Amino acid sequence: MTYSGNPVSPGIATGPVFLYTPFKPQLSETHIPADAVEENIRQYDELREKAKLELDAIRAKLETEDPEKAKIFAAHNDILFDDAMDEEIRDGITYDNFTPEWAIQTTYEKFIKILSKAKDEIIRERVADLRDVRSRLIRIWHNVPEKNLSTLDKPVVVVAYDLFPSDTATLDRSKVLAIVTEIGGPTSHSAIIARSYEIPAVLGLRDAMTVLKDDETVIVDALTGKVMTEPDEISLTDYAQKREDYLVKGADLKKYTDVTAITKDGVRINVEQNIGSASATELEGATCTDGVGLFRTEFLYMGHDQLPTEDEQFEIYKRVLKAFGSRPMILRTMDIGGDKKLDCMDLLKEDNPFLGLRALRLSFAHLPIFKTQLRAAFRASVVGNLWIMFPMVGSMDDVRRAKAIVNEVKSELRAEKIPFSENVKIGIMVEIPSIALISDIVAKEVDFCSIGTNDLTQYSTAVDRLNPNVASYYQTFHPAMFRLIGQVVRAFSAEGKSAGVCGEMGGNPLSAAVLMGLGMRTLSMGIASVPSIKKLVTGTTILQLEKLANAVVNMSTASEVEDYLRRELASVL
Amino acid sequence: MYSRNTTVSNRTGLHARPASDFIACASKFKSKITIKRANEDDEANAKSIVMLLSLGLGQGTEVTITAKGEDEVEAVDALVELIDSKFGED
Repeated sequence: MTYSGNPVSPGIATGPVFLYTPFKPQLSETHIPADAVEENIRQYDELREKAKLELDAIRAKLETEDPEKAKIFAAHNDILFDDAMDEEIRDGITYDNFTPEWAIQTTYEKFIKILSKAKDEIIRERVADLRDVRSRLIRIWHNVPEKNLSTLDKPVVVVAYDLFPSDTATLDRSKVLAIVTEIGGPTSHSAIIARSYEIPAVLGLRDAMTVLKDDETVIVDALTGKVMTEPDEISLTDYAQKREDYLVKGADLKKYTDVTAITKDGVRINVEQNIGSASATELEGATCTDGVGLFRTEFLYMGHDQLPTEDEQFEIYKRVLKAFGSRPMILRTMDIGGDKKLDCMDLLKEDNPFLGLRALRLSFAHLPIFKTQLRAAFRASVVGNLWIMFPMVGSMDDVRRAKAIVNEVKSELRAEKIPFSENVKIGIMVEIPSIALISDIVAKEVDFCSIGTNDLTQYSTAVDRLNPNVASYYQTFHPAMFRLIGQVVRAFSAEGKSAGVCGEMGGNPLSAAVLMGLGMRTLSMGIASVPSIKKLVTGTTILQLEKLANAVVNMSTASEVEDYLRRELASVL
Repeated sequence: MYSRNTTVSNRTGLHARPASDFIACASKFKSKITIKRANEDDEANAKSIVMLLSLGLGQGTEVTITAKGEDEVEAVDALVELIDSKFGED
């Protein structure tokens, strides 16, 4: 059987399942006799001390190996002795006559609820820490020894519902072949740790704890997000080979992360990063990229029940700008539509949300929200090299209207004597065919563009890229796309302006090669694609890439193009 | 009762290690100490890491620190100084 989940940390592994069920007590309201208060308070103090000793031991072990992780347990210690919670727990025992266990349960639950409401995701993630400390306290209360992933006796594929920070922080890397959980996504704690440890991980695999049996052999393909049970001999050999190839390739690719992207005939290519948040992890990419080609700002609006304030946005935009110093940081204004549900805004239910009131159109319909974002961005522009980009531009009307609003915002800031940079570049996403086809005209009125190849392909080939029924009709290598993109690049080049790419075609070496051959000099992609693109760039000449592009735009089908590219570029892949 | 205002100016704001240092400092004093955003009412126990974190005091936030007790002046001054020192960052 093959099961599917979310591949959040790449790699391949084969091994026995280890079903990990952390201690999960069933708790209910329990009371102590009124005269036992003092004794129970004493037991609570003792319990805390025991928990502290456990935390101290873990910290001591980690201080040398991994000081970053040791910090998690320092934070757990702070939680353990938190003044406000301590008072409530004591009151619970003294005045409500709760057992220490129940006092702890209810108090922690209350504070978990408080933290869960925080706007900042970083703070909400601390809820996991509260749960972890509570679990530790209750486990010790029941005299259950610490069972964790640091005491595995053989290499296993760890399968769990979810993993606590202390599970992932203490796991024995040499014994954990892969991680599979029932819940969680790419930004969850487990995903982040798995990636930093380079442990293949597939999260969000429904009912994993039920369908996978303890000790059975499974193949985890965390490149595609599949977990296979009862693999036959052929699969086992196949995947052993795939794993080898993956590891060899990975080691090879790593060498290219920090190199400067310059072709063999001396042409410099800007390799930029797409980011979808301002998290420290994402901003780490600043060490090996030439800037941010796409800063998706939707995260500010999604999953929050209130709109982000101008000041909140200001702080976040400054953080990102500072991380990239003098390099371009392209901020894309809010790109959301009726296909998503927002808690902070009422979005219309539309039959065709991808052709509806979304992105820039939505911004035009909600001017105060749009202007707030622009104000915050311009205010932040003083600390770095800000470029602003509008999504879903379909006509010159859109361009001129957006620019007029930008000018309004600038006048207002000037009148309020709030400083902003006069050098902010204003540009557009090219994703709607109608604007691509008049790119010679638009290039005269904007400073740059970035091609959103995913949506451009979707709109040009009339395929819903999220609809599995027509997945085969969505063709990244359709010759028409290369012709259209070439037209855009040439039009912008004629005006001395940059036309980059921020869609998936930029991070795929095969298509990126053609884009560079068509004259493109800026590619923006997810950080994971950077090494393979740099390998491509440093291994070819622009002359070769131009020949490639010329051949491709004269081909008739996507498969013809793809086969050709795979053959021609085999040596630099 | 004694109060002072200041602005959180370190890069990471009152999160993680700075928050830890803050409550460690606050816990040394006998007074009841609270911290809140200068222009809002929601105040937090300055000795509680969880309450402090839930306020989410990022860089640039103006805060009011208030203490009530025998060492209220030293408490507030020490905490304001700690914030102003940027917790040793930068």
